[in-house]
Amino acid sequence: MTQLALVIDLNVCVGCHACVTSCKQWNTSGWAGPMVDENPYDAAPTGTFFNRVQTFEVGNYPNTETVHFPKSCLHCEDPPCVPVCPTGASYKREDNGVVLVDYDKCIGCKYCSWACPYGMREVDTQQKVMKKCTLCIDRITDQSLPEAERKPACVLACPTSARLFGDVQNPDSEVSIAIRERGGYALMPEWGTQPANHYLPRHKNRMHITEDDLLRTNNPLKKEDITVYHGEETLEDVTW
Amino acid sequence: MRRIVYREWRIESSRYWSWLAILAVVIAIGGMAALYMEHHGHWVTGMTNSVVWGTPHIFAVFLIISASGALNVASIGTVFDKAFYKPLGRLSGLLAAALLVGGLLILVLDLGRPDRLVVAMTTYNFSSIFAWNIFLYSGFVAVVIAYLWTMADRKGVPYTKPVGIFAFLWRLALTTGTGSIFGFLVGREAYDTAVLAPMFVVMSFAYGLAIYILVLMYSFEQDDRPVGALMLKRLKNLLGLFVSGVLYFTLIYHLTRLYGAQTQNIEHFILVSGGIYTVMFWLGWIILGSLVPLFFIYHPQHGKNPKAIALASALVIFGGLAAMYVLIIGSQAYPLEMFPGKTVVEFGAPGDIGGVVAPYWPSLPEFLLGIGGVAVALLITSVGIRVLQFLPESLADRVVDPHVALAEGRGR
Repeated sequence: MTQLALVIDLNVCVGCHACVTSCKQWNTSGWAGPMVDENPYDAAPTGTFFNRVQTFEVGNYPNTETVHFPKSCLHCEDPPCVPVCPTGASYKREDNGVVLVDYDKCIGCKYCSWACPYGMREVDTQQKVMKKCTLCIDRITDQSLPEAERKPACVLACPTSARLFGDVQNPDSEVSIAIRERGGYALMPEWGTQPANHYLPRHKNRMHITEDDLLRTNNPLKKEDITVYHGEETLEDVTW
Repeated sequence: MRRIVYREWRIESSRYWSWLAILAVVIAIGGMAALYMEHHGHWVTGMTNSVVWGTPHIFAVFLIISASGALNVASIGTVFDKAFYKPLGRLSGLLAAALLVGGLLILVLDLGRPDRLVVAMTTYNFSSIFAWNIFLYSGFVAVVIAYLWTMADRKGVPYTKPVGIFAFLWRLALTTGTGSIFGFLVGREAYDTAVLAPMFVVMSFAYGLAIYILVLMYSFEQDDRPVGALMLKRLKNLLGLFVSGVLYFTLIYHLTRLYGAQTQNIEHFILVSGGIYTVMFWLGWIILGSLVPLFFIYHPQHGKNPKAIALASALVIFGGLAAMYVLIIGSQAYPLEMFPGKTVVEFGAPGDIGGVVAPYWPSLPEFLLGIGGVAVALLITSVGIRVLQFLPESLADRVVDPHVALAEGRGR
């Protein structure tokens, strides 16, 4: 079985919101759109977004860090929003595991919103139906696009390549390798919903460079000859 | 016991039509409020992506569970063979159907797409408790109409008991289903508990009976029909029992959640630090909605005073609405804890917040829609008792209690 998902590297996410805006742009113009915006330039704007970045701090002052946590539908393998839908408008695609809403069957009862423990359902007050991240289903399944572009808009837009996309059930996929080798984890696994989206944790990279490292002849960090010459013949004298 | 004579509600035409006109205006205002919200979308209300069910749902759920509770009065007469309650059966059935229709109307008009009701009625996902409730609600109206027929038509009398038992079981299923809408939700800390289903059943007993008592007293008083002290005593004692039952379930519900460390935060929110939700819980649900009515009901003097009984019933209704506010709104306003121990300082895109208590304040259109639903229930009841023989001519002690009649006979 295929289970498409996002793997988000929190280590390199800088909270630039490019994923948020590209998501909104693509989806408001496509199959899932239009996505409502009310009073966008006022003090209290409101609207539908499939992807939001939540920012929180860890640690105590002055040793604090800011974590940017992009969150969209996690496309759970056992999604609690699907069985609760009275009309069956919420469903999970069998071929690729993407959780979707059939907008023609949704009656707008919002019960799925109650059921989602991740708070990822949003009502579109213009179309008056429930909406959520589709993993850009109209893009990833579009065979007319070059294969490299058959990815969600947020993945293509991320300037730091913090977002990976692929099949988490395929052990050889880029996302599975990233989860396996870099400690990828699911958000709140205790709910038992088996979220398909995963996060790669933040970690510190520490590099210790000694003088010896810099002087070694095969030092890859050495960009130029730093030897101090005192009139003796050098290699350049010989070759030129 | 004397034969019970039922008569139409014979208040003066001018008063009757004025009453209907007032209800019609309230319904029209409610309808316009629904139209306004439907036209603009829910962003014009207090509802957000965090609080998705607002004030209309408080009224809707309250009316729906009260509907099944109102039918209880008929069930006591038919199912449990308490002859004392038999004269009350017809009004009980009518009120049950009326309250359910009022509640359902609110529910439907508050849907994102009320125009797609036909989709909801034709496309079912049977793993959804919500889909089962659509059956339970529509079936309830059909069962109650059949029940009313068996009570009102001589040909139907042999079927009264079996239909009554079926209706009783159906109403239990209905309230269990309504409670389970919340009880089955694992994603919210306030829910995910089996106790909500029986708690809703007991709540329905209390709220349905409180509404019944008020409607009975008002309609009888307006038409100068007597309600005997014995009848009132029975009804108010029953109300006291049900209100105590609600208190018991409330205590068990909160004790269970206080015991486990996982749910202590939301308990602290509801019971101590939740602002309006804490006030609604203690002042609305517990003090004004339960303890004060119990004081009036069991007080040696006040317990005999019809006005005190009416006040107690009204307070129980207020307490019921407060309970729904805490249960429905409070549990949504409490944030989903995505990052335990961390405070979300920014929520990315505008429009909603995460990680902190969601702001919600009922907007006027939401409130008007809810009141409109109540007016629909009252309109159906008023027309029903006016044109059909639903109300007994008298509920005086000698009519409803054979012992009193016998004693009076001997005295004569």
